[in-house]
Amino acid sequence: MSRMGVDLAPRNMHGLSLINPVMVASGTFGYGVEYQSLVDIQRLGGICSKGVTVRPRDGNPTPRIAETPSGMLNAIGLQNVGLRRVISEKAPIWDRWRVPVIVNISGESIQEFEELAASLEGVPGVAGLEVNISCPNIRAGGRLFADCTESAAAVTRATRDVTSLPLMVKLSPNVGDIVSIAVAVEEQGADCISLANTLLGMTIDVRTGRPGIANVSAGLSGPAIRPIIVRMVYQVAAAISVPIVGVGGVTCTEDALQYLMAGATAVQVGTANFVNPRVALEIVDGLDAYLDAHGYAHVSEVVGIALPSRRAVPTSGVC
Amino acid sequence: MDLLRAKVLSNEEIMPSTHVLALASPELGRTAAPGQFVHIRSGPTWDPLLRRPMSIYKIRPDGVSIMVRAIGAGSTMIAASVPGGWLDCLGPLGTPFELGPDSRRLLMVGGGYGVAPLVALAELALPRDCEVVLLVGAASAQYVFPSALLPTDVEYEVATVDGTLGHHGLVTELAARYLEWSDAIYACGPTPMLRAVALAARPLARAGGGAVPSTKRVELAMEQDMGCAMGVCLACVVKTRRGLQRVCRDGPVFRAEELVWESSA
Repeated sequence: MSRMGVDLAPRNMHGLSLINPVMVASGTFGYGVEYQSLVDIQRLGGICSKGVTVRPRDGNPTPRIAETPSGMLNAIGLQNVGLRRVISEKAPIWDRWRVPVIVNISGESIQEFEELAASLEGVPGVAGLEVNISCPNIRAGGRLFADCTESAAAVTRATRDVTSLPLMVKLSPNVGDIVSIAVAVEEQGADCISLANTLLGMTIDVRTGRPGIANVSAGLSGPAIRPIIVRMVYQVAAAISVPIVGVGGVTCTEDALQYLMAGATAVQVGTANFVNPRVALEIVDGLDAYLDAHGYAHVSEVVGIALPSRRAVPTSGVC
Repeated sequence: MDLLRAKVLSNEEIMPSTHVLALASPELGRTAAPGQFVHIRSGPTWDPLLRRPMSIYKIRPDGVSIMVRAIGAGSTMIAASVPGGWLDCLGPLGTPFELGPDSRRLLMVGGGYGVAPLVALAELALPRDCEVVLLVGAASAQYVFPSALLPTDVEYEVATVDGTLGHHGLVTELAARYLEWSDAIYACGPTPMLRAVALAARPLARAGGGAVPSTKRVELAMEQDMGCAMGVCLACVVKTRRGLQRVCRDGPVFRAEELVWESSA
């Protein structure tokens, strides 16, 4: 493994080895193929697919997005082609790639999560699953599985029981006690956690006096949320031992370093892909240059250095 | 299509808050077609965050011109671009208008600055022995696209909502007179206008075609809030007979018969 390589599932029989710690986040990179003409996707650490549901979904009415200060709101509503077509049409493409594709799965019930996880087990081209217990835009029954410790743990257990694939559980930031949820998810067999999904928000079109997004409530992403998620990663890193993937407002090498220093083993670049499709690769190069400039032998040496237990200071300057 | 930096050659305010920016980019000039757009960053920082889709208004071998109306923070920054500066561009993107091989009498209907891609289309069509009637609607006279900027062979009529220039009313009311004459219709503008054009053209298509669906070409450049413009974020979808389609990738130009209109639209 090179000095940029990381394993997000060291306890898993398959492992989840990335050539570098920079992934692209679910919902911001389609099924990976859409950006192929612009981006050398094989140089990415990993690709998290658009969220997949058991049946195809049309998603929410429009308007689905709105720009906010240094961020955006979205309520797409998990529009996707459904499990069957992901297996028959997308996975064979992924199977030819070097870059690992982690399939983001989203269920409305524990049974659906089980069906998704079991169906993707053993499918060539699927390197792991990101268990999306936190999509804020489809509230079947009014609650998210990520909302409380018990339901987050139950989904994790159920998927763990039906698949040997590496499991990355994506948590919601819209909770009071993120640490106890992360601990519970780790206990129930998550190989790593991704932290976090979007923050709930809304906007109002003052010309019409109506909510600016048809779904009313929407998920806030982009640089605006980064400090909130960095804080959560920092808190959770002190409490769990499985790898954390920091997700929220990563736009440059310095942002990625913040997450790594807060205790994340890897990051996902999300909304920034919409603005600069090549930004994840620019961060890969930037991290490499940072290791050079500061004399680190491996990127893991940066992980968690901001934590109280690992107080240390980089030798000089910034990236 | 590529990510590229294009130098701003000139910036001319042709109507209030409406600028034409000439961009130097042989790649854009070589590959762009009328109806396509360029997705442009408003500045080097992440606020405003998203790129802004801008219609291609002129196509030259060495680049394209875009039309920008300053209506929000991002478009205002782009409209303020100084000649000699650079714009971060992604494009050209989307589906272009198509000129049918047998189309000779083209009716073009533009709402507001929706005229931009129609000018590019007219410039493509005129050397191909086509007659072009361009109808443009605007809120008032000051927002009417200046006729001096059009090729002289274009027959140009305007409508203003307040009656300060041309027909007093909606541009779609003007269009009725040319429906029979035209053998292809192209429109770009606000969704209600596009819907009106589509509905006005529909009975004509039926009458002309009898039991067989008419092949009359009616193409509409749709508007929808856009995020990535690469077909990934799925923000800009519209309903079509083939299900939801992305304006950025499957459009912006759609055949009218493909679109499914919301009853309230």
